[in-house]
Amino acid sequence: MAGGGGAPGPPAATRRHPAGNVARASRVLARIAREALGRTVASAGVLFALATLVFLALRLLPGDPAALVLGEQASEADRAALRARLGMDRPLAVQYAVFLRGLATLDLGDSLARPGVRAFAQVADALVPTAELAGLAVTGGALLGVALALGSVGPWLGARREWVHRAVLVLAATPLLALAPLATWALAVELRWVPLPGDPESRFGGVAFAAGLLSLPLAAQVARIARAALLDLGRAKFLDVARAKGGSAARVWIVHALPAASAPIAVVVATQLGALLGGAVVLERLFERPGLGSLMLAAYASRDLPVLEASVIAAGMLFVAAQAAAAAVAAAVDPRGRA
Amino acid sequence: MSSEATRRARALAALGPLASLVVLAAILAARSAEPGRMTLELAWAPPGPGRPLGSGDAGLELGALVGHATLRALGLAAVVSCVGFGVGLPLGAAAGLARGRAERAVLGVCDLVQAFPTFLLALAVLSAVATPSRLHIGLVFAVTAWAPFARLAAAQARVLADAQFVEAARALGVSRFRTVARHVLPNLLGTVAIQLGTSAAGLVLGEAALGFVGLGPADGVSLGALLEQGTLGMLRAPHVLAVGAAAVAAASFSLQLASEGLRRWAHG
Repeated sequence: MAGGGGAPGPPAATRRHPAGNVARASRVLARIAREALGRTVASAGVLFALATLVFLALRLLPGDPAALVLGEQASEADRAALRARLGMDRPLAVQYAVFLRGLATLDLGDSLARPGVRAFAQVADALVPTAELAGLAVTGGALLGVALALGSVGPWLGARREWVHRAVLVLAATPLLALAPLATWALAVELRWVPLPGDPESRFGGVAFAAGLLSLPLAAQVARIARAALLDLGRAKFLDVARAKGGSAARVWIVHALPAASAPIAVVVATQLGALLGGAVVLERLFERPGLGSLMLAAYASRDLPVLEASVIAAGMLFVAAQAAAAAVAAAVDPRGRA
Repeated sequence: MSSEATRRARALAALGPLASLVVLAAILAARSAEPGRMTLELAWAPPGPGRPLGSGDAGLELGALVGHATLRALGLAAVVSCVGFGVGLPLGAAAGLARGRAERAVLGVCDLVQAFPTFLLALAVLSAVATPSRLHIGLVFAVTAWAPFARLAAAQARVLADAQFVEAARALGVSRFRTVARHVLPNLLGTVAIQLGTSAAGLVLGEAALGFVGLGPADGVSLGALLEQGTLGMLRAPHVLAVGAAAVAAASFSLQLASEGLRRWAHG
């Protein structure tokens, strides 16, 4: 049905040949690759600045890090021993060189709280649950957002699609920080519909609930942008053609309009990744769930300096990678940003 | 009443929720000068006579606590966003008017600063002080708060520099300084000021999130610490959580509404 029967095709020169598609695709890929290289350099700069700041904050700000770790009552001998163990008795330049080498080899020394365990090994362990939570939330949020957008533009809900739109606007303005504890209290404590995600026996239900909460702000942003993009497309000629050919509303919106709106959707998902990581830290704290955020906060509380440095830098890497991905996607799909 | 006046009145009305929140918080805060005072026998007590919002952990009076915490959060957000405005506006405007290398440099630094995860920055800086205070938190936020203002000001200054009335002023022989002071800056202020509300809403949530995960001010008088109390006492005293969540949501909503009002005021 896509061929259009006996209608005269476009002139041969402009007809889409498979080879032309390949060439176009490879041009797009090359542009993405070029863009990615530029972003990688910029991201490395941000990351380097963050790592240097972490390094300097503990060494240059007034106060003795050893006293922070051991408490004010610790004897001078104990403090000196700790400083020696952390290498803080050496000149700053030497410490910085050792720190940079540690960064490059992903070895910032052993945890103070758990001697014998390398700081980056703890970070690697903590990344797994965080990736699980964030991955589920991104997938769920994108799908839910697209579904809400389709519901608010398609004919299925009649006049009630305005309600969907308003609900999305309210959800977009609602802080996760206020919503998540309330929803947990209502759904997990009072109604007992969902298990508490911090409960080790909650298994998948708990993660799914936490990811669902985390996905809500993303879903609201996706729904807003996707709705605007779909409404814009709603007046496009190619949708009139699809309707005239007798395509159902679902076919018109999902098969024809949605792919054309995928670029702004991809951009908004990518730009929300940073906020999502921040939300993951809050939720890990709320549910006492293991993860990168919990590791960072525990290391902060006990001043486990090697683990704190390693986890802040690892979180920075994730954050910067998310931002670079967002910028690369935006540049690849939006010709205005191109030089 | 002209439609223009109606429009402005409506825009101003959007500041109402924020004003009401401040008044309400001030009334609650005036009930007690020491929001951190403990009354152990009243720990987690539900709302009752004398304590309209009930008590929290260790018998803290929730009304006074939430009042003080809201005022301090709004105060911090106001101060930091005004600092961001004060630093970002001149910097961005100068960059936008100068164009060329200076503009690229300022925008490049904006990129770098806006790409910076504020939460991680706070963690890194606060880990170096024994007891974080609101001043430390404000300083950390101020490091990154100016960038959106500068970016907006630069974009707007670029547009204004090409505007016909600025060209006319230049053609009439008005000095460069006077052109900028009389024609560019006043038109810049409104557009950039809109960012104040957005920025303040983000700062309130940022401070609350830091407090929630245990990086708040040591005195425990913060919206985040209140929310944390609420989640810890979720099972026996859900009213604490309700008060904390309502306060965070109210502060964030009212600032967003105010920012929307400012936008309508400036753009119609």
